[in-house]
Amino acid sequence: MNAKMRTLLVLLLVVAVGAGVYAYFRSRDQGETTDEGRAPATDPNTFVYVTIGEPDTLDPAYAYDTASGEIIHQLYDTLFDYNGSSLEELVPRLAAQVPSIENGLISEDGRTIKVPIRKSVKFHNGSDLTPEDVEYTFERAMISDPVGSPIWMFFEPLLGVQTMEQVIALAGGPSDYAGINEVDPAIRRKAFDMIDAAVEVEGDAVVFNLAAPYPPFLQILAKGGSWSSILDKEWMIANGDWDGNPDTWAKWHDPAKEEMTLYEKANGTGPFRLQAWDRSGGQIVLKRFDDYYRGAAKLETVFVKYIEEYNTRLLMLQSGDADAIYADVQYLDQLKGIDGVKAVEGLQQIANTTLLYNFTIPYEGNEDIVGSGKLDGNGIPSDFFADINVRRAFNYAFDYERYLNEVANGAGSIAKGFIPAALPFSNKDGEWFTHDLEQAEQFFRQAFDGELWDKGFKLTLLYNSGNNSRKTAAEILEFNIESINPKFQIDVQGMQWPTYLSKLDQGSLPVFFMGWLMDFPDAHNFVDAYLRSTGAFAGYCGEGLVELAKAEFDGLIAQAMRAQTTDERAALYQEINRKAFEFAVSMPYIEPSDHRVMRAWVQGFAHNPAYSANYDFYSLTKNAAGS
Amino acid sequence: MLTYITRRLLFLPIVLIGVTLLIFFAMSFLTPAQLVSAYIKSPEELKNQSIQELVGRYGLDQPVWKRYFSWMKNVLKGDLGYSVSANMYVTEAIAKRFPATLELALFAVIPVICGGIWLGTISAKNHNRPLDHASRIFAIVGWSLPDFVFGLIILLIFYGLLSWFPPGRLSVWADSVVLSGSFVQYTGMNTVDALLNGRFDIFLDALRHLVAPTITLAYLWWAYILRITRSSMLDILGKDYVRTARAKGLTEKLVINRHVRRNALIPVVTVVGGMVLGLLGGVVIVETVFDYKGIGLLIAKGAERMDYTLILGTSLFYGVLLVMTNLIVDILYAVIDPRVRLE
Repeated sequence: MNAKMRTLLVLLLVVAVGAGVYAYFRSRDQGETTDEGRAPATDPNTFVYVTIGEPDTLDPAYAYDTASGEIIHQLYDTLFDYNGSSLEELVPRLAAQVPSIENGLISEDGRTIKVPIRKSVKFHNGSDLTPEDVEYTFERAMISDPVGSPIWMFFEPLLGVQTMEQVIALAGGPSDYAGINEVDPAIRRKAFDMIDAAVEVEGDAVVFNLAAPYPPFLQILAKGGSWSSILDKEWMIANGDWDGNPDTWAKWHDPAKEEMTLYEKANGTGPFRLQAWDRSGGQIVLKRFDDYYRGAAKLETVFVKYIEEYNTRLLMLQSGDADAIYADVQYLDQLKGIDGVKAVEGLQQIANTTLLYNFTIPYEGNEDIVGSGKLDGNGIPSDFFADINVRRAFNYAFDYERYLNEVANGAGSIAKGFIPAALPFSNKDGEWFTHDLEQAEQFFRQAFDGELWDKGFKLTLLYNSGNNSRKTAAEILEFNIESINPKFQIDVQGMQWPTYLSKLDQGSLPVFFMGWLMDFPDAHNFVDAYLRSTGAFAGYCGEGLVELAKAEFDGLIAQAMRAQTTDERAALYQEINRKAFEFAVSMPYIEPSDHRVMRAWVQGFAHNPAYSANYDFYSLTKNAAGS
Repeated sequence: MLTYITRRLLFLPIVLIGVTLLIFFAMSFLTPAQLVSAYIKSPEELKNQSIQELVGRYGLDQPVWKRYFSWMKNVLKGDLGYSVSANMYVTEAIAKRFPATLELALFAVIPVICGGIWLGTISAKNHNRPLDHASRIFAIVGWSLPDFVFGLIILLIFYGLLSWFPPGRLSVWADSVVLSGSFVQYTGMNTVDALLNGRFDIFLDALRHLVAPTITLAYLWWAYILRITRSSMLDILGKDYVRTARAKGLTEKLVINRHVRRNALIPVVTVVGGMVLGLLGGVVIVETVFDYKGIGLLIAKGAERMDYTLILGTSLFYGVLLVMTNLIVDILYAVIDPRVRLE
């Protein structure tokens, strides 16, 4: 090695050691460092939350994922909020009052809802909130209606449809078209007029004209998901968004996510403003909005960092560089053992996970899953799950307790129907499936007039690889069913997500797992997804299920939404629950609970299961005494 | 030499077209519904969108040649498409993530090369003596250790226990400054930008974050360089001209430095070329463990989600990088060994 090279190496070593020494002294001094511009994680004004999965977008009209909701929640406000942890009691936020029939803001027929808008509320850019902003927010969301967005939640109550395509059809246009520009401008104008008439400004209030009574409408407008976040009309127009013109709205319809105005920008009325979304560094920085109408937040800066590697998150929490982290349930015991770390467990979550059955399984190209495609012991026929006895037998064969305790680590409760127990009209006191192998055997014996019991079956149960809890759920079912009759064979196999998705699309999966996290806390959100013929999963369950849903559930679900009184609704949902049990449509098996992991110095944590955000940063403080 | 360089550069478009055709050909084996998995991460995301709707929206049901030409048309306009896994345009993703990788590679490459050559020289000089065995064992342990394990050990010691070298690229306080709007990000490399902005404290902080991944990378690569240097040097040490040099009475230091090592470096340069390219391609595990968000992590995430737009875009980028690196290696041959003529 020549002298130059050696000098270079020595230099490098000196720099590394220097950096180390500097780091050492810096970390020692960190607790006392509060000079301007430097905000270490232990600074009481700065909160660092390290989680996984970056937001999809910051546009409330597009965002439908929890990661986006987490940030939008802090940047915007909605008309109403939930009172504490309540799912039913609302408090006004940007609205001046919560409408009710008693205060005259909801009409007797439940179709007109007047919302007075609060005064002296400022957006982050300093402009004032007006009723026109509220009207613009909802109309802009509906004219945009990006594919896969949550905007169906406005269309359904306000216009009785779910998409803009259906609005065009209502306006007399085609029910199917390639692009909005192909639609006659007169029809487009008529469609817009319908949207315009649904949300009107009346003095200092905004009036929502509903197509039919829709009991959970106020919950849709409340601070749960991100869709009802109120925007600043003037600012939006200045930033190139729709200008409110009834004839040009098509230009802003179904835009690409990344082309939407609010994709990575924000101007809300919420307690924090967006300082930066550093997508190369995987972090979002929020700064306190000092003019927040409910009083400025206690935290000055919030860092939300996205780090996929659990060990890195763990070390950051341990060292105090992170104030809170995301951790899977299996790590809770380890985390609880760390000094100065607390875990908040058993947090209510309005969600469930279900095993769904395909009533009409295709055979062509599906031989690897259905075997012979016949009832001959070497496969399953297309109508395997169309037989009610098979479905009932499967539902009785699953060991719910074992799953809850051994797989979910006790975090949650066993599902007793499709409506989660925390919601009104659930099936809490009704009859439901339990782990009962005798009953399972009895139903297997009755299936296909006894032929199934004699010949047996062979079925491949697929799950998307990497989802270990679903793998174990499938194995529990496999173990129990195979123990009933040696001729019953279930093969549990993991499948890569792209292939799994492709099979799902072809309707090829005989059984599959799905979860549903509520959009708004109402029974309708769940029965609509699982039991209606047009529900989110009906397309993957075959024509047989669609027919059953049309005959048994669609009418009841619609009636329940039109019901004028709570008692009437209760009776209808009771009937839906009863029928769901009678027909064993699918197998909801767990309602998971949630948890949070944070440093002991984090104070003021509040939880409402309706929030899409894990943390409401507005309520948080960091108090060294807490540690 | 100029003719040689021009000819090599003229090959570039052919290489790139070949790479993209190969990827599109591989993609033709996938169904549209499989390709749509880039847009849907889990069953729960099927909540309010159908697979077919997405297939139609992104034109995944079009024949593969049609998709290729439409993609190529956009590429010629400078648009590499939008990456769903990175949640930004591919060009933007490369521009934002590559500087981090480049910075890490620049800091890692000197200790890796110098350390590797030094160890190789020591080994060769002390052939079959304890020092040779010790340096080989030291380096081979590094080569055998899974990078994930070694990275975690380094993180645990230097961050978990000593709090010296934290993960990420900057501390929270430095991020606050960098993202405040008053700090200009000229290059995307924090060390360089900090100096250009006159913030020596941020420079030191960025440096502090580079130490642990650099140590990890250096240790993992040393064995490789050591082995090549050692065997190449042993080969040269037996040559006649080395014996002649010694017979002339030259000192051992001079023999090694002037006559042996210089000639032994030719195979090392070849290996280093590949290594640099590997470093620039991103070191996924090291980037993951140290939360060092470089291009490796970006590509790995894209591949995992079957984000073909990103894969195509980054393949093009690496095609260019590969050709350029090979060109530089060829030029270096000529510099090291005057017998080599580039024609």
